[in-house]
Amino acid sequence: MSLGVETRAFRVSPWLKRHETLLALILLIALVGLGAFNDRFLTIDNLLDQGRFISEIGLIALPMTFIIITGGIDLSVGAIVGLCAIMLGYSWKNFGFPLPLAIAFALAVGALAGFVNGLVITRVKVPPLIMTIATLALYRGLAEGISQARSVRGYPEWFYFLGQGSVFGVPTQLLVLIVLIVIAGIALDRTTFGRTLYAIGANETAARFSALPVDRVKLIVYTLSGLASGLAAWVLVSRVTTTRMDMGAGYELDVIAAVVLGGASIFGGSGTIWGTVIGLVMIQLLKNGLALTGVKGDATIVVIGVALILSVLIASSLERRRD
Amino acid sequence: MKSRFLLATTAALALAAWTTQASAASKWDGADDLPTSPLACGAGEAAAPAAAKPYDGGQPTNPPNKAGKEITIVDVPKLIGIGYFNATSKGMQDAAKELGNVKVTTDGPTEAKIDEQIKFIDNYITRGVDGILFAANDPVAIAPVLKKALSKGVHVVGYDANSTPDAREWFVNQAEFNGIGKSMMDSMAKEIGEDGSFAIVTSTFTTPNQARWIAEMQAYTEKCHPKMKWLETVEAQEDNNLSFNQATTLINKYGDKLKGLFGMTSVATPASAEAVTKAGQCGKVAVVGLATPNAMKPYLKTDCVKSVVLWNPIDLGYAATYAMRAVVDGKLKPGSTSVEAGKLGKLNVVNGSEILLGAPFIYTKENIDKFDF
Repeated sequence: MSLGVETRAFRVSPWLKRHETLLALILLIALVGLGAFNDRFLTIDNLLDQGRFISEIGLIALPMTFIIITGGIDLSVGAIVGLCAIMLGYSWKNFGFPLPLAIAFALAVGALAGFVNGLVITRVKVPPLIMTIATLALYRGLAEGISQARSVRGYPEWFYFLGQGSVFGVPTQLLVLIVLIVIAGIALDRTTFGRTLYAIGANETAARFSALPVDRVKLIVYTLSGLASGLAAWVLVSRVTTTRMDMGAGYELDVIAAVVLGGASIFGGSGTIWGTVIGLVMIQLLKNGLALTGVKGDATIVVIGVALILSVLIASSLERRRD
Repeated sequence: MKSRFLLATTAALALAAWTTQASAASKWDGADDLPTSPLACGAGEAAAPAAAKPYDGGQPTNPPNKAGKEITIVDVPKLIGIGYFNATSKGMQDAAKELGNVKVTTDGPTEAKIDEQIKFIDNYITRGVDGILFAANDPVAIAPVLKKALSKGVHVVGYDANSTPDAREWFVNQAEFNGIGKSMMDSMAKEIGEDGSFAIVTSTFTTPNQARWIAEMQAYTEKCHPKMKWLETVEAQEDNNLSFNQATTLINKYGDKLKGLFGMTSVATPASAEAVTKAGQCGKVAVVGLATPNAMKPYLKTDCVKSVVLWNPIDLGYAATYAMRAVVDGKLKPGSTSVEAGKLGKLNVVNGSEILLGAPFIYTKENIDKFDF
């Protein structure tokens, strides 16, 4: 009898939330632990500084969460960052666009790149993994071809505000990220759009029979992913003051790692924005904390890998025990 | 907007076509249009006398005075785990041991990614070090984080790959373009004679370093080896297969006329040597080029290649560490014209805030086994 009650109580708070609570707990323990080792880690300065570094990955991780919830994936995001960065610099320098127009143009290119992904995935029914591997190569190739591997520099001072400036001491891009996190969180949690994502991921056929606009929603999330990658490119160019065709290389893995660590199932149907945010923060602060504690670069990667596996293992084994 | 776009594209294309044509008339293919400064002929001083250019580096804000005291410095190369930067790192450790009051650690990304490199440097600023040595993955992108280091009173010295000058105090320059141009041409002239004909295998005509080297080679040839004849420059990206094919094509196309091949990249040089070997032209077609020792060892052993031009990365790391120590001790400051660097002797300041390592190093059969990268 008591067992039944427990199961019931568990249903009230779904296991997903548990996963994130556990992750948050692990994060907290890791932070306190690393903070005890190093007095320069848990300082406002350092934490805000890290906020600057997670922004690009974070911006892309939001739509990636949507995509992974639908059971899809987008591996081309890093390449889109490269392409948009190049388009920003190139259109400004070579087409003579005023800089604000060049920025808008780069964002449009990002959205278009994502839209093309979504279009082929929904119309031609190419699996997202294959389509976005293909465009990963394609977009990076375009970036290289257009730029001739040359970089564009010498932006006006105001352009650096987004990537290097701060508002009330908080890095500008972190504020942008926080606003978008809130919007994405509400969209996923409180709107039909969000519920449609879960429905598609849980059972796409059922979603179609329920007359949900499956293809349209998919098209939207892939386009959003491209747009967010364009935004990340803008932030990145502003932060490092130059455009390079290899920008964003490898971002896809960092983004997906954050989303999956945050509890989204790679098979679709589950995941939350708040989990993704914890995953994101956890990876970055672990890297930073370890580096500050004196772990060298090559060893840091190993420790991070082990820490990721452990945290997922602990979280899932605790969940199973509850079940 | 559309017509403006079209107009801009057309204009850009026309301009590109025009510049290519203009340069093809007088320049060797692959050379750029920037002014050249060929060095004096024959053996002698590798560097032109330092042109009086004012100091253009940056300065740290209120660095703690650690003159003569023990300092901790970190070295953040482009990437770790490759032979080249293992060699620079070894040079730093050698220098640290000699100096006795320097502790240097090498740490950096495992891939040559500018974004990762920035994070490494940022973390070390937070952690607190006295000095940062760097080899930039991108001269401009690395500047903001280096400026941040300067603003926190950390000394910054670059080596191998520069940043914008105002983001660091000094840069140890391994080789100037005209020095490389001279070494390449002198080595070739020694092997094929003053009236030999040669061809060049480069990456692309627009790759900045290669274009600069080729321009300097041309200027130096006109000045010092006027009878040597340039046949052709071919593009081979940095692709092993393509370089091999291009070199083979050159050998077949020019036959006996071709006496020498230049490899302008660390890929093109071994590939050209391989092409010469496969064509059975060893001893008939000389190969001179920029390359890393390990790739060239087989060809030097079979005498197919006699000279490989590069700098010595161990010396480069060594000099960078000495420069950092001198900066902290106040011995190397804006306006200095030279710096003492242990066994390397006195190194000259050039270009305002650069320290020149010296003449390029020529790897030969005799000395190449000392290097492993």
